[in-house]
Amino acid sequence: MPSFAPRRTILRLAVGAGTMAVAVSGLVTAASGQASADQSPAAQLIQKTAAEVIELIKAKTGAAREAGIRQVLETDFDLDYMGRSALGTHWNKATPEQRERFLKAAASAEAHAYAERFGQYGGQTLTVGRVTTRANGTSVVDSKLNQSNGEPIAIQWEVRNEGQGPRIVDVKIEGVSMVMTRRSDFNSYIQNHGGKVEPLIDELEARAKH
Amino acid sequence: MGKGFARTMAACVRYSAVAAVALLAGCATHDTGATEVWDPLEVPNRFIFSINQAVDVIAIRPVAVLYRDWMPKPAQRGVHNVVENLGEPVTAINDVVQGNAHQAATSMARFLVNSTIGVAGLFDVASSFGLKKSDNDAGQTIGYYAGVEPENGGFYIMLPLIGPSNARDAVGLVADASIDPFGIAIYSLSGSTAYWIYAGTRYGTTVIDTRTRTMTALDDLERNSVDYYAALRSAYTQRRAELIRQKREKTDSRAELERRDNLALVR
Repeated sequence: MPSFAPRRTILRLAVGAGTMAVAVSGLVTAASGQASADQSPAAQLIQKTAAEVIELIKAKTGAAREAGIRQVLETDFDLDYMGRSALGTHWNKATPEQRERFLKAAASAEAHAYAERFGQYGGQTLTVGRVTTRANGTSVVDSKLNQSNGEPIAIQWEVRNEGQGPRIVDVKIEGVSMVMTRRSDFNSYIQNHGGKVEPLIDELEARAKH
Repeated sequence: MGKGFARTMAACVRYSAVAAVALLAGCATHDTGATEVWDPLEVPNRFIFSINQAVDVIAIRPVAVLYRDWMPKPAQRGVHNVVENLGEPVTAINDVVQGNAHQAATSMARFLVNSTIGVAGLFDVASSFGLKKSDNDAGQTIGYYAGVEPENGGFYIMLPLIGPSNARDAVGLVADASIDPFGIAIYSLSGSTAYWIYAGTRYGTTVIDTRTRTMTALDDLERNSVDYYAALRSAYTQRRAELIRQKREKTDSRAELERRDNLALVR
């Protein structure tokens, strides 16, 4: 009898996923100024990143845009840390050479993905809200991605300072963490390929080529 | 669903303005504890997933693309609003079971306003009255009371033609379907044939509407993952956990205060 019920599940998934997609393009968003009285370094970083990305999208296309995005990712995101957490326990098993290749391939894949997402930028704005600092020193910056049609999307940014200034280590869109999702994705792939990291690196490298 | 129903809804309208304030999504600052989702049925699940994917590629996605590109936007919005509006009573029931009277009031007020002024739900007039749309379902109700980490929804299961779910949410789906007032009314007034027509139409419409709205996100997830099944499993679990966390925090007065502070900042 519950044949129409699926709507809810799908919906949720949809919301989550949709969120993810939009959110992704959310990075793109302009930081609207009056938002946060709180000018913590973490909040400033998010504002700056959003502004940079928007600028980039307006000014450049194609390969130039991808290169620009890559640069923003490298300066504002702690890609090594993200890569390490995405690999999870497999990081310890990888050789130094594998780690290096993995981080390089993962960064290319991310840059490519973000460039593609930002290509769909439709003038959304990002309003930065509260910043909470956790016991481990990570700051969580709340923000809302305001869309022209539909509900705003909640995006949380995790920011850490490892001595080189604050950098983004995770993006959560409506509760869905990019790093966590990536980790499940990678972990499952590794398990289905004999528990080895090598096939994953090969796959990521192959994908980075185009 | 006679007079009592209407009276409740009238009362709801009064509360709803207050309730609307409390609605903006909360901000869980916890670490998502879930490392890996419990998936003892992974082999059959992956099999069903591949069938779902095939059905999607052959039938659902192409229709959704046509719908997205050829159906006028206002019509798409109207369809979406109708589907959402039909879900409000079940949302309100779950709000009540979770002890959130304000939220229930808002959902019922939305239903009342949109079903009348909003022409059978075609227009979401309630939102412009400040009655914010919220989301609730029996899966969340179970998670609310379960007393375990919300990432733990029992075993993960891929449902045919429905998609990702878990023990908790699948039970929730059946529960929601069985308390749906429209389903009950149609079944008791017009019998089972009418019920299946109603259920089928509603399901079909929902699928296309939802597929259209999730197209970008799902395409993105699929393209940027090396194991789409695993990525989707993780994203689904996290998303559901987040919704349940928000419901739990709503009953926590300190979290509520923080949320208002946050709201004041945002505005």
